[in-house]
Amino acid sequence: MAARGRVRHFGCDAVRGGKRSAIQRWSGLLGTHGDAIWHYRRSRLGMVTAAVALTFVVGAVFAPWLTPFAAAGRGVPDLSNRLRPPGAIHWLGTDELGRDVLARLLFGARASLVVAVGVVALSVLVGVVVGALSGYFGRWIDEVLMRITDAFLAFPPLLLAVLVAASLGASLRNTVIAISVSWWPWYARQVRAQVLSLRTRPFIQAAQAIGAPSRRTIAVHIVPNVMAPVWVQATADIGAVVLTAAGLSFVGLGPRPPTADWGVMIADGRHYVLSGQWWIAGFAGLAVVVVAMAFNLIGDVMRDVADPRTRGQLR
Amino acid sequence: MSEIKRLVFGGLLCVATVAVPPLTACSRDADGSGAANAAVEPGAAGQETAAEFAPEPGGEFEEPADSGSAQEDQPGEPPAAEPAVAPTTAVASEGSRENPRDGPGEHFVYANPHVIGDLDPSSAFSSEHIVLQNVYETLTRLTDHDGTTTEQLSGVLAESWTANDDATVWTFTLREGVTFHDGTALTPQAVRDSLHRTIDLGLGAAFILAPIEFMEAVDDRTIRFDLSYPAPLDLIMSANFGVYVISPNAVTQDNAWFNAGNAAGTGPYMLESHDPAVSTRLVRYDDYWGGWSEGQVATVDIRLTEDPVLAQQLIRNSDAHYTFNLPFDVYDSLADRSGVDVVIGPSMISLFGLLNTRRLSPEVREALVLSFPYDEITASLYGGRAVRSRGIVPQAMWGSHPELEIPRTDLEAASRLLDDAGMTDISIIYSYDAGTIEQQQIGEVWKAGLATIGVDLVLEPLTFDARWAKAKADPDGAQDVFVMFWFPTFVSPYDFLYSVFHTEEEPFFNLGYFSNGEFDTLIDEADTLSGTDRYGAIELFRRAQEILVDEHAGVFMLDVPQAQAIRSEFRGFVSNPAYSQVVRFYELHRR
Repeated sequence: MAARGRVRHFGCDAVRGGKRSAIQRWSGLLGTHGDAIWHYRRSRLGMVTAAVALTFVVGAVFAPWLTPFAAAGRGVPDLSNRLRPPGAIHWLGTDELGRDVLARLLFGARASLVVAVGVVALSVLVGVVVGALSGYFGRWIDEVLMRITDAFLAFPPLLLAVLVAASLGASLRNTVIAISVSWWPWYARQVRAQVLSLRTRPFIQAAQAIGAPSRRTIAVHIVPNVMAPVWVQATADIGAVVLTAAGLSFVGLGPRPPTADWGVMIADGRHYVLSGQWWIAGFAGLAVVVVAMAFNLIGDVMRDVADPRTRGQLR
Repeated sequence: MSEIKRLVFGGLLCVATVAVPPLTACSRDADGSGAANAAVEPGAAGQETAAEFAPEPGGEFEEPADSGSAQEDQPGEPPAAEPAVAPTTAVASEGSRENPRDGPGEHFVYANPHVIGDLDPSSAFSSEHIVLQNVYETLTRLTDHDGTTTEQLSGVLAESWTANDDATVWTFTLREGVTFHDGTALTPQAVRDSLHRTIDLGLGAAFILAPIEFMEAVDDRTIRFDLSYPAPLDLIMSANFGVYVISPNAVTQDNAWFNAGNAAGTGPYMLESHDPAVSTRLVRYDDYWGGWSEGQVATVDIRLTEDPVLAQQLIRNSDAHYTFNLPFDVYDSLADRSGVDVVIGPSMISLFGLLNTRRLSPEVREALVLSFPYDEITASLYGGRAVRSRGIVPQAMWGSHPELEIPRTDLEAASRLLDDAGMTDISIIYSYDAGTIEQQQIGEVWKAGLATIGVDLVLEPLTFDARWAKAKADPDGAQDVFVMFWFPTFVSPYDFLYSVFHTEEEPFFNLGYFSNGEFDTLIDEADTLSGTDRYGAIELFRRAQEILVDEHAGVFMLDVPQAQAIRSEFRGFVSNPAYSQVVRFYELHRR
């Protein structure tokens, strides 16, 4: 199984003329990933954290069907039920407007998932393109792109996100843009470093020697071979983005009320913590911690899986 | 809790005022007759002079020979008159817990949620009065008000004052022995120049001095005011803004000088330092005319604490001694905590949403007024302590309109109005203060109701300064609903009605951009009657408020209860609705 991955690194298909079909290419990818999945499943930690992540995703996607208080999840108040502690009806209590906290958490997971996936997808897209172009072409293109990247990296990520979000206004879409602005440079740097080591490999030189255009070389031979660490990073980043998005919402730069959002729940709920109504901010904070930690650990396990030196030590 | 405080209010007030310097007390009623009884009938001028020291047009009021306290020494005050609304509420909690970290008890920390933006006593017009009221002084101070037509005024820098029969000529005799912080003696010229500075700048609360036509120093203790129309000048001189007396050495300085941390008033505290982003520090003025006694507050730190959670934490730990603006649900738990007194006093704070008359048709405005969940908000979010507004003038203030016909929440009627107007599936922008959780909660509750009739209420949180600037700059493109509080500049309906609804060429606080000639005429005329014919003024003010309701100029939400938390180590705090959020540090004593 692992040999197939190595075959790709030597670029046999390119040597053979680079005439692989899309199906062949994807099956190759799947083969590599299938290998990784097989190793991943051996890790108990990996399976537990994957279960948490799956719960998060399922909860987000099926939120309206998972709670009898879907209206509360959408923000409809019930003032007769304000600040009820956790109990038989409202398992996690109610908030300051009488809305079921569990329903708010489930609907808040939707916002978190949208932001996390949006940010990671956008950042990977921009980062991979910039990193690949920069690493492959080098010279002045590398200089220009990397200086731009450095400029973005010069700002503390959260500060830059706050700046952008404050400029664009508070909304879910703007949250995605704001975080992505500070996120993509890391992928660009990572991909560029990978490409620099790849471009002198014989299979790349062979592709160039037979006259493959740069666009094809990058798309077919470079990018697929740099994506494994990118996926590992992207998975770990899901949790980090959830954390950052909650931070932005906490300072009022997330989606507008009454959209359910974990950061907003913490911000609003913390007013009541000192007076004993801990469950609003408490459960929302717990949700952020658990999801961020789960994806972070998944990323760790995936990194171990990808590294032959640590693959045998998976727990 | 507040009931208990009210019960012991009388006794505690005696204690609280022990250290208060001798003030001249007087009271005014509807027609200026000086009768303190609210039941005086219209046209009864001169029939009753219940207060021996009451100001009477044509009469003179002098300080009693032995006046230990303003509230105690009023021989003419009706002893058992129960005001319609308790005028002030004092802290009376016993058994407080000493906190060893508090030190000698002469340092007081005020956790202030609002930025102190402008310390120029002539132009400040926001939350700065919490500082200015302690650093500068005014000629008079309102100490009591029964919500109808009678208010009780005490002399601060004025020892006595008189007015002619039609309240167009006023003479104030100044207190002796008063010096400014720079050592200069108080003179009538200083009073004149200070008021002139406000009038000349024309900023902030300058409009309240509009009646003044001429000021003249009669002698070294007396100043005479000639007014262009009758006005209750003694009441105006008790305002929160624009009437502070400034040292002759400082009165020529510009705004930047004052905002650089300089000041020269006659108040019990001198301004030591001022950093709007951190704190404003005060230190006692040793030569204050009222003198000092042991246990009084010597230094004050008015610390910017925008985060209500931090404010809670500070006051719970005795790292701050006073705060307000906490979520209402929190006060009950604070009240249960030993060492913190919660004071929920009568309020003259009105909360309302100004409807943009340039963007919204009358039908949409009416629909919005009908859709607002008045009872839900007052009963739930404020724990039943708030009362629904009847117009913009708070019900604790004279000139309010208890019979004003206000609509009940009726979503069906609102929906019909919108359908008839062909306005379906519309979006309404609700602009509110970011961080003021009640305004957000009100918006969320209202949004849910409006959603059922196809209206999307878009909640737009911004800092007040940001949304105020936006609303002033672009009336046509700004918000649809501008939510704001108003507390009295001075205790008159004219302040509320003029500031928020009088026609403005350039928007300032009229952020619904309301303009109605009849309304303007009515309130301007009512203002001229305020000094001589209070009942006549009330009638006109009420008609003006009816126009606001008929024109759907705003959603008048509620009279906000004035809730505050103060450490019980200090006694003497009096919550006076006329001076919202003001702590008179001089009146505090460590237990």
